[in-house]
This record gives sequence, structure tokens and C-alpha cells, in this order.
Amino acid sequence: MTAAIEVEGLSKLYRRTVAGHRLRTLKSVLLERSLVEGLRPEDSIAALRDISLTVDRGEAVGIIGSNGSGKSTLLKILAGILKPTRGKLRIDGRVAALIELGAGFHPEISGRENIFINGAVLGLSRREIQRRYDDIVEFSGLENFIDEPVKNYSSGMYVRLGFAVAIHTDPDVLMVDEVLAVGDEAFSHRCLRRIEEFLARGKTLLLVSHSLDLIEELCDRALWLDGGQIRESGLPRRVVDAYRQSVAEDEGRAHREAKEQREAEEQREAEEHREPEPEEEGGDDSEAEEDRLRWGSGEAEIDQVRVLVDGEERYHFRCGEDVTFEISARAHRSFKDFVFGVAIRTPRDFECWGTNTDLEGWVPERLEAGPVTVRVECPGLRLGAGEYLLDVAVHARDGTPYDYRRRLASFSVTAASNAVGVYHPEHRWSFTGGVELQREGNRQGGSEDGG
Amino acid sequence: MLRIALSLFRYRSLLATLTSRELKARYRGSVFGYLWSLINPLTLLLVYTFVFSTVFQPRDDSVAPYGLFLATGIFPWLWLSSSWVEGTASLIANSGLIRKASFPAELLPVVSVLSNLVHFTFALPVIGTGLWFFHEQGHPVGGWSILAAPLVTMIQIPMVAGLALGTAALNAHFKDVKDILNNLLTLLFFMTPILYTLRTLEGFPPIHWVVARNPVTPFAQAYQETLFYGRWPGAGDWLTMVAVSLGIWLVGAFVFDRLRDTLVEAV
Repeated sequence: MTAAIEVEGLSKLYRRTVAGHRLRTLKSVLLERSLVEGLRPEDSIAALRDISLTVDRGEAVGIIGSNGSGKSTLLKILAGILKPTRGKLRIDGRVAALIELGAGFHPEISGRENIFINGAVLGLSRREIQRRYDDIVEFSGLENFIDEPVKNYSSGMYVRLGFAVAIHTDPDVLMVDEVLAVGDEAFSHRCLRRIEEFLARGKTLLLVSHSLDLIEELCDRALWLDGGQIRESGLPRRVVDAYRQSVAEDEGRAHREAKEQREAEEQREAEEHREPEPEEEGGDDSEAEEDRLRWGSGEAEIDQVRVLVDGEERYHFRCGEDVTFEISARAHRSFKDFVFGVAIRTPRDFECWGTNTDLEGWVPERLEAGPVTVRVECPGLRLGAGEYLLDVAVHARDGTPYDYRRRLASFSVTAASNAVGVYHPEHRWSFTGGVELQREGNRQGGSEDGG
Repeated sequence: MLRIALSLFRYRSLLATLTSRELKARYRGSVFGYLWSLINPLTLLLVYTFVFSTVFQPRDDSVAPYGLFLATGIFPWLWLSSSWVEGTASLIANSGLIRKASFPAELLPVVSVLSNLVHFTFALPVIGTGLWFFHEQGHPVGGWSILAAPLVTMIQIPMVAGLALGTAALNAHFKDVKDILNNLLTLLFFMTPILYTLRTLEGFPPIHWVVARNPVTPFAQAYQETLFYGRWPGAGDWLTMVAVSLGIWLVGAFVFDRLRDTLVEAV
């Protein structure tokens, strides 16, 4: 296979804006053709450090990483927009880059005229554009707006036109930076189908996206950029998982730190003013938000729920670990009729699991006024990789809520296997008859999940 | 420098499209449309004619009718100055294009030059009408030498483009360029024999020396010669113009070429 993109030792330095150095900058760009030549290290920022990369023809490569990791800089260099500070770069074939919506669209003139300009910017001759014009308009679905100035277009219409032109320039390498997220569902699907067709014809795709699912779905390989370097490269599933795990760990740390800080502040405040603060006025929005997430008579209250692994509070754990949900509640009177419940949901509100004491046959005897702790232990909790939210409630057996709290806590799960879904049961494969499979290298299978 | 010329040639159809976009976009939504490209210079012409033929008397008898003389100098000057100013700002004005798409930036200043050239051409019928009118009135103006005027313009294109390219690239890094240019243009306007003739300055040798060496002077004089006086420029005049124009193109294109790699980050 021949390489469509070859990159060797690519680095990109950006110059920090230093006041009063304008003339010196001018001199250095005139003499050295570089903004960063001869700068002290503290005056420059490295966006990319020593990137080497080969993309084969026909390969679809997804680039992931946090903001500021160098994804867009890399794409811009590959698209020929930016010049690298150091390193070699070779691209085979015609490149179309969708770096930003409607780059090159002129707001005052019509969509029709913009198609011609955009096409020319992407390297088509007037005749070639003429020939593809009808297809472009049809694909964009903007027949009725094509003579309107594009300043009247919505951002969705911008992407549609931009993508339609780019894909119809018949590039050998298509580079897309995030823009597909803007269109509506139907158009996104159409774009994806078109990209799949494009890939089926043996063309090359570079996709920068925060949509990790899209990367997994579309790409043959994922590239994880971190601080301007390639941290990991390989099967999308694996790289995306590693990336998710790292993000979850960082979030978990931030979460813990924020929580500790909050607690410290609360404590300090409590010490400073022993009296309760008067209610703040005008908090309508937050009250409405509060209403949506919490309701009930307040005769009993849920204070918090903690996610514990080995007795230690965790934001992040692995599929198959022993997890305990520890609910701290307070009753303001004594109860004879009460039920405690928990539910695990995805951020999109899919209920993975919901249960309560009543459903599981626990008959309430007494709940005295004062603080109580309720624990739900889940040995070997086999949730799939992803983010989850916890709902916790205390209510009467007929459902009358005392305190119902939605999204009270969140946690994140990583799984060692590449399987999808919210549930990863323990399982084993076996094969009999005329079927033979070979274990791949050291890749972990589903049955070793979570260890 | 050659690279830029080649790139302009390679992207000539894009250059044409962008120029027409520029012209369309400018007058979209205005009632008089391209008539503005006539009204603007005419206003200037009217004011200068009043001040310098009624308030002050011209010191050179050959310039009558003064309004027509002025027109043959001012219209080409406006082409040069608007191209230069717009071209200088063009990279920053179109930063979206060069930052987000792989776009040949050298086209942008040249688009300003070409779109203003179109405005200049639109204004030519005014000069033509004036020449015909005053010729009929018995003034010794105009003649077949009018046919040489387009050649002067063609020779001047590399010069105007070179100026626009050079300052456009400098302006991307050094925003003061635009303001320096505005002042420089005022100075340059009065240092060019447009309101007056070079002959009027013979009594002031140092000023005469400077004005005679102003690179715009040969062009201003060539327009006046071919259009107003109805005389053909001599071989020496043509050679001077070609040399000046190519020289300035080379300097401008060289500066642009040097700065090109860093433009995207600067705008």
C-alpha cells in the first residue's frame, strides 16, 4: 500500500505575543522567514512536538485529544494552511479540508456564487464546478435558498453547503475538523454515508472530532494527541478507551479536589457565621433547575450518596469492581411507611438499573428522626464503559415522595473489553464443529474483563 | 517573485471569480450600484477643479480646460491609491479565508488591484466624453494617442500589484503599515504632477528634483500626454515606465514571498 500522507519529525512552535517586540519580529520574518527563529524557549509555545506519522491510502484516521492538544494545528499543517516549524511532510493527491464552516464563503453574495468561489479555492476549474453544480446543490438540499446571500443562512445550512462542495471536489484526502456536528441528524447521516462511500473508493480520511463514537464507527485507526505529541495510536476502540480512561481519571481527580475544596470552604463558612444565611433572592433559574432535579415533602431528606470501592470514595472504577453506594439521609420525624431507592442512568437518561427496598421485599418497620445511612453493595458491578448518574429517593410505599433526588452523583466506568453497551456480563466463547479461531496476540477478551 | 507571478497565472480563473465577487459584494444592496464608482471621483474632481481653477489660478497655460486635465490625472491616481489601501488591508479583511482554507494569499491584494481597475475603467467614458466635448469646442485636447493609454495602464499593473503585495504582507505583521500608508499617500499625491505640471516647479529646483524622481510621475505624465495633450510618449518614457513598474513589482513580490510562510499566523 502506498502512503497518502507521510510526516516526519513535525514540530510547530507558536510565538508568544510579546509587547514591544514587533519590529524585531518583522526583522526576523523578513530575514529568516520564520516567526520563531532565534526566539528564546520561553517566548514560544510548542503546539506539536516531533510528530511522525504515515497514513496509508484508503485509511481513515481519527484524531482525538483534549482542547489544545494540537489536533487542529496538525490538521492545518497537513492541509497546507500552516507551515511547520520543523519537519518533513508529503501528501499524495488532491486535498480538501473542512477546517471551519464556510471558510471562504462571502456573506454578501449568493450560495450559487459561493459554490463557484469555494470550489475554485478547493482547486476546481470553473468548468469542473459547472459540471458538478447540480449535484452539489442537490446534496446540500438548499435548492430554495441557493440565490440568497449566505449571510442569511443558518449555521446548519453553512455546513451543508460547505460539505457538499468539499465532497464534490473529489479529493484524494479529505480532512474534516469537527464541523459535521453542526448539521441536523438527517444531514449528518447523509454526510456519513457519503464519507463511507468515499472511503469505499479507497480514499483517505482524516477526522478530528470530540465525538469518540463517530471515530470508533468511521475510522480504521485513532491517534491520540496529548500536549502536541502522539500519546497512542492504534485500533480506535482501544485508543478511545485509553483516552476515556485518562479523561475520567483527570475528572475524578478534579472532582475530588473540587469536593474537598468545597467542603473546606463550607466548614470555614460554618465556623465564621454560626447562624444560617438568609435565603438568596432572585435565584429563579437555579430554583427551577433544583425543582427538576429534586422534589418531595422534605419530611425526610437525602443528603448525599457516595460511590465507594474498597471503602474509598471513587469517581471512576473499572467494570467488575465491587462497588458500594452509600446514602446519607435524615428523617425529621419518625416514619412507619418508607422506601429507599436507587437508580443508575446514563447521561441521556437511559435507566440501566433501578430498584428500591419495597420492590425487593423489605417491609419498613421504623425510621427514627435523625441521621441514617443506607448502603447498597454491588459486588462485581458489570457496567459497560461510560458515564453514569445516580438517582436516590426516599418515599412512601404508595410513591408519595419525601425526597427524590435526580443526578445526585456521577461516576465513570472503564472496561477492558471492546464490547459495547451498558452491561458486560461474564461470558465465555466456545466453538464446536468446523469452526476455528485463533486468539489474537495479547489482546484481552471479554471473559477477562475487569479482572 | 516569479513564483508569485506563476501562482497568479495558475489561479487566474479564481482571480477573476474573486474580482467579480468583490465588485458584486461592494454594491450589493446599494441603490446606485456601480454608479458610485463614477460619483466618488467626480465629487473629488469637482472640488479640486473649483479650488484650483477658480480660487487659485493655474500657473501653466497648457492645462486649460483645467477640469479635464485634472480628470486625466486623478482617475488613474485613484486607481493606484484605492488599490494600494484596499490591497494592504485585504489579507486581514479575508483572514478567514487564509486561516481556515489552503488559499493562495497572494491573490487577495491583486484582487483589490483588479477590482479597482474595473472601477477605473468604468470612469473612462467620463474622460472620453470630456475630451470629445472640449475638442468640439475648439480646445487642442485629445487625439489618436488615446489608444496608447491602455498600454500605460497595462504597464502600471505590476507596479500597483507590487505595492499592494508588499504592504499587505508587512501590514499583517505590523499593523502600523496601514496608517503609515494613509499619510504616505497624501504626501505622494501632492508630490505627483496631477494638480499641477512638472514645468510649474522649474522655479523650485529641489522640489522639482524630488517630484521628477517620484516613481508615479512618469505614469501620471503619460496619462496626461496620451489623453489630454494628445501626444505619444517617447521611447525613453516607455522604457522608464517598464523599468519602474517591474522594479517595484520585484521588491513588493520579494517582500511578500519572504513573509508568506508566516502570514497565516500573523493575520
